[in-house]
Amino acid sequence: MIPDVPSVLGELAQLLIRYAGPGVADAERASALGLSSALLAMAAEVWDGAAQTLVQENRALARLLDDAACEADLRLSVLRAENARLRGLLIAAQTAAETAGDVARQTAIWAELRVSTERRKLSVSLV
Amino acid sequence: MSHPLEPRVAAYIATRMPDASGIVVANLQRISGGASRETYRFRLIYAQGGRTHDRRLILRRDPPASLIDTERRVEFEAYRAFAGSAVPVPKMLWLEETGAALDHPFFIAEEIEGFQASPQVLFAGGYEAVLRRVAERKWTILGEIARADPMALGLHRWMAAPAVDACWRRELDHWEAIFDRSEAEPQPIARAAIRWLRANPPPPARKLCVVHGDYRTGNFLYDEAGEIHAVLDWEMAHLGDPLEDLGWGFNPIWQFGRGLEGGLLPRDQAIAIWEQASGLVADPAALHWWTLFNCVKGQGIWVGSARAFIDGGNREPIMIYPAWWLTNAQDRAILKVMG
Repeated sequence: MIPDVPSVLGELAQLLIRYAGPGVADAERASALGLSSALLAMAAEVWDGAAQTLVQENRALARLLDDAACEADLRLSVLRAENARLRGLLIAAQTAAETAGDVARQTAIWAELRVSTERRKLSVSLV
Repeated sequence: MSHPLEPRVAAYIATRMPDASGIVVANLQRISGGASRETYRFRLIYAQGGRTHDRRLILRRDPPASLIDTERRVEFEAYRAFAGSAVPVPKMLWLEETGAALDHPFFIAEEIEGFQASPQVLFAGGYEAVLRRVAERKWTILGEIARADPMALGLHRWMAAPAVDACWRRELDHWEAIFDRSEAEPQPIARAAIRWLRANPPPPARKLCVVHGDYRTGNFLYDEAGEIHAVLDWEMAHLGDPLEDLGWGFNPIWQFGRGLEGGLLPRDQAIAIWEQASGLVADPAALHWWTLFNCVKGQGIWVGSARAFIDGGNREPIMIYPAWWLTNAQDRAILKVMG
């Protein structure tokens, strides 16, 4: 998820201190804490599987692009950077397939996009 | 404990109400939500004409950074243009386009009290008997917006008027540029949709209309009888194709998981209400284009909220929430609409 989870958790930690103190209107406190609660729930949902999801997606994209997914460093920030690199290449590949009228290639790319979108789905998804 | 903005708002209002005395601003509280504007409600107490007045007002102030970047003047004038019309809106009082008084541009309006805006409340069960009425009013009012003459309303002075065959391109260019400057990670699904939209443009708009820009369940005030008392959040208002607003409401995100447009009605019934009120016909192919476009626009907004947080301009939780909650859902919506 973007913004990345650690930066959001850090921000929420500061927010909790700010809103725990006196002088904050009840409605503002309730709103901020309600939103924070929802964000913490989403972070909790994705946290355990985050590396697995990125590794799966990066491998699938690398196969599709005939590229090599870098897995030398399994920190989420590194996996996410690799994911961004591969997704950028995928956009270029899909654009090229459309220009060339390569229907099979387009179908394969759309199939991967559908799988990766399903993989990232949250339990609170509206769609 | 009073809010630090209270004396500053009172001092500002004193400059706008020179005949009033004893001006006090009290109970100023920020209202939840409002990712594009900071919204506060407050009491204004003052003496004028030999008696004391106690009014409930709304302050809408620009935040340090927003998930959308819009002109305060445009929003203010859109509200003002529809005052007293078949499109219910709150009464606008004062607009300030500089940060001199309250650090950022803002406007002050009358509060319309006692009604709900929340989709979650609307769909929690207590309003089941009046959902059909809400739906009828929702799409009738949208039809009235489409029926209105922007020139007669004077809105052409504040909003650019594109040619009817250029409405789609202007909007698509605008939102693609937002992806170009805001996306924190590549968005292959939205980019594919943008390419499709550009390769398959819609027919020219049937007429140039006022486009609300964010007309959806959640942006109007309703009551327990299903009546709608105000249409809110005009900050993305502009002139364009009337199908744009209809298509924004058909973004699957706004079904709220209920399988009905706006969480309220099957699509054909919503279109029928809108067509009767607007006097226009919703061409299915053109409406499909505008629905997909609005899925892209939605993703542009969620991408923009993430960017505002990442760049540090606005670190409020409300900037993170749409990016986390809606980005994947919006991708799913694009896939659904593209088929």
